[in-house]
Amino acid sequence: MKRGSVHAIVGENGAGKSTLMKILYGMYRPDSGEIFIDGEPITLSSPAVAIELGIGMVHQHFQLADNFTVLENVVLGSEPTKGGRLDFALARQRIGDLGRQYGLEVDPDALVEDLGVGDRQRVEILKVLYRGATTIILDEPTAVLVPQEVDELFGALLELKQQGLSIIFISHKLDEVRRVADDITVIRRGTTVATVKPADVNSRQLAELMVGSELPTPETRESTVTDVDVLVVKGLTLHDSVGRDLLTDISLAVHSGEVVGIAGVEGNGQAELVEAIMGMRTPTAGEIHLGSDDITTWSTRQRREAGVAYIPEDRTRHGLLQDSPLWENRMLGHQTQPPNARGILLDRKGAKADTQRIVDEFDVRTPSIDVLASALSGGNQQKLIVGREMSGDPRLLIASHPTRGVDVGAQSDIWDHLRAARAAGLAVLLISADLDELIGLSDAIVVMLRGELVATADPATVTPEQLGSAMTGAGGAGA
Amino acid sequence: MIGRFSIRGVALSVAAPLLAIVFALTVTSLVLLATGNAPLGAFSTMLAQLEKPRIQVNILNSATTYYLSAIAVAIGFRMKLFNIGVDGQYRLAAMLAAAVGGAIALPPVFHVATIILVAMFVGALWAGIAAVLKVTRGISEVISTIMLNFIATGIVAYLLAPGRLAVEITGSNNIGTKVIPESGRVPGLPIIPGTPNLVFGMIIMAIIVGVGYWFVINRTRFGFDLRATGASETAAVASGVNVKKMIIVTMLLSGAVAGLVGMPQLLGDSYTYGLDFPTGLGFTGIAIALLGRNNPIGIAFGALLWSFLDNTSNSLEFDNVPKQTVLIMQGVIVLSVVIAYELVRRYRIRMVASDVGRQLDAELVTTAAQGGSA
Repeated sequence: MKRGSVHAIVGENGAGKSTLMKILYGMYRPDSGEIFIDGEPITLSSPAVAIELGIGMVHQHFQLADNFTVLENVVLGSEPTKGGRLDFALARQRIGDLGRQYGLEVDPDALVEDLGVGDRQRVEILKVLYRGATTIILDEPTAVLVPQEVDELFGALLELKQQGLSIIFISHKLDEVRRVADDITVIRRGTTVATVKPADVNSRQLAELMVGSELPTPETRESTVTDVDVLVVKGLTLHDSVGRDLLTDISLAVHSGEVVGIAGVEGNGQAELVEAIMGMRTPTAGEIHLGSDDITTWSTRQRREAGVAYIPEDRTRHGLLQDSPLWENRMLGHQTQPPNARGILLDRKGAKADTQRIVDEFDVRTPSIDVLASALSGGNQQKLIVGREMSGDPRLLIASHPTRGVDVGAQSDIWDHLRAARAAGLAVLLISADLDELIGLSDAIVVMLRGELVATADPATVTPEQLGSAMTGAGGAGA
Repeated sequence: MIGRFSIRGVALSVAAPLLAIVFALTVTSLVLLATGNAPLGAFSTMLAQLEKPRIQVNILNSATTYYLSAIAVAIGFRMKLFNIGVDGQYRLAAMLAAAVGGAIALPPVFHVATIILVAMFVGALWAGIAAVLKVTRGISEVISTIMLNFIATGIVAYLLAPGRLAVEITGSNNIGTKVIPESGRVPGLPIIPGTPNLVFGMIIMAIIVGVGYWFVINRTRFGFDLRATGASETAAVASGVNVKKMIIVTMLLSGAVAGLVGMPQLLGDSYTYGLDFPTGLGFTGIAIALLGRNNPIGIAFGALLWSFLDNTSNSLEFDNVPKQTVLIMQGVIVLSVVIAYELVRRYRIRMVASDVGRQLDAELVTTAAQGGSA
């Protein structure tokens, strides 16, 4: 790749993007092959060496200390010292300079925990610039951003590029890649398939290069909605520890065979709503009913045993035990139910057999069910979770970003499974940041803003743009 | 493929302790050299002790106690609960159980059972305080159990006085609880020939506890919840585990096993809780749980190794080597085990990840080839 350009790398989950980046950042050593910087072959034996050579990485999951200020986070690990003492004045000045130079201004004294996602990302980029990076690797930078923030990020990237920095941009979102990249390299199954110019391809062709097959669309066919209430939430209100409203008077109903989508900018109470429905948070007021049962005071386990399935938003924190084998992960969340348990004992044989079934049915790519979950790529981990939650005929599925960070192929598989289950009478509460997914899969959409349901939309008629403005409170979505 | 995984897995799990012991031996050798002693001489003196039947009995007896202590610690460790208070729990439990045992008269088996149950109950109760504090007030169990150790010391000192629970032991200037009569004792086992010394009958209890630990942790729903909570509390909560309940139950279990720690000594040798009752076993248990990686078999090896070092250290004095060298050795072993396991763990994760990648690549090549020919 050239100096002063944006080079995008796209590929399915498990195609090897992350591995490639980890090699570039010195976290893994290649078995063969060479890496050149400015014509010089180099050996990247550790991230420290990579940093020295001017390679900086912005991880998909931010690596910031929440209770530190922006300034402290930026200097963390390369603190400027004067006579053995921290020299914040110098650092403050450099951060100011960098911010102005690249259009990445952030208040250096703000606490990171008070910053929004977009600002946090800027802090991450500042961090690598501060260490003198000339090549910046961005791993899925837009996954957590709303459209407006994406625009800002792209503005900053353009600025960086014009200043002669090189940017490696990893993404699944092909439209974005085409907008921002000068060159696009498609990798599939660990090898380069093609390197193209964005002007020469459209997103569809790009996607087909990626998966080597045709593209899926998230459309549900005929309606399967019934009038059988499965989940009914009435007047649900949730306070945080100091009594502020996280959720205010939420009421909604999901029927058998229906997918209800929740649209909203992240952090507007969706996570709290999901956790309240799952019994992981105790609501301050309101009721939750599952079928004919009032489950407001039930424990998470009781709810799960009653047929509530849950695809959590953050699979690494809530969905999996990374250091446990796949078959133990199959049990997680269902460890009291067949085929995983018999009485108070675990049924290891049953769990293993059923894990194999999930691996086969849901196309989880793994050499064996005995490998640790951490060995699988994100998409395969997600397929395992979806397979697990679809097992045992659930009545209600709470699906939080079910296809986040998942490649096009796995995404379409997951959509197919959701549709099939819906047709069989499953009630689904779908939370997604992917508006196409939300519109395509849902039978009804509600918009959430600052912990309240502010609008409803008909997925048959609403456009992503209308939804987007309703989500930011700019206008109704045709309620 | 699976076969390869597990053969390598076994090799890797053996590699870590071996690595640690070699490293510890090296460091100890350096220490011995630095103090002007011949390492090989010292090591062979210690090993030679192994031939003596009396030493063999002592090693098994101490190891029994260490094993129970380490299992008590390991129960908490599996859930990332650090019960540093095994020490206080077993001392308080042993003292009160000894007092009860000396005060009552029951038929043989019932007498022993009562003493053991009292000890388990007291141990659980004492650990339970820390659990309740953690669940209700969010107090770290590390802090509270350490503080409870001191409180236990105070209570034992207060109660172990003439006129309270203690009486003077005839033929010494020691005081202790009233001696437990014959019916409340556990007879020793004459399994080592060539010595009149007997192996603690409670070694059978230790084995039962070890098997029970393995079974509960690996084969029951409760054990799964416990391990899941230890592996990822957030994922455990999402899976429906009631973490508060788990903390309480696990601490109670850990404390109950801690209550057993003093039993081999009490029921098999001293029959009274005197001023000379062994202390500090809880901390030995922490070291051995680390050494054995919370694995019931690993802990057994760790307990035997520890006990071997303890019981042969005196022989070093014949070679004019300070017996405290053994303390250095024990310390270095624990540190190197912790480090070696972490290194091996990371290596293993990398190996598996690259294996998965390689295998998938191979599969894809075959499918691609089949696709091409079709």
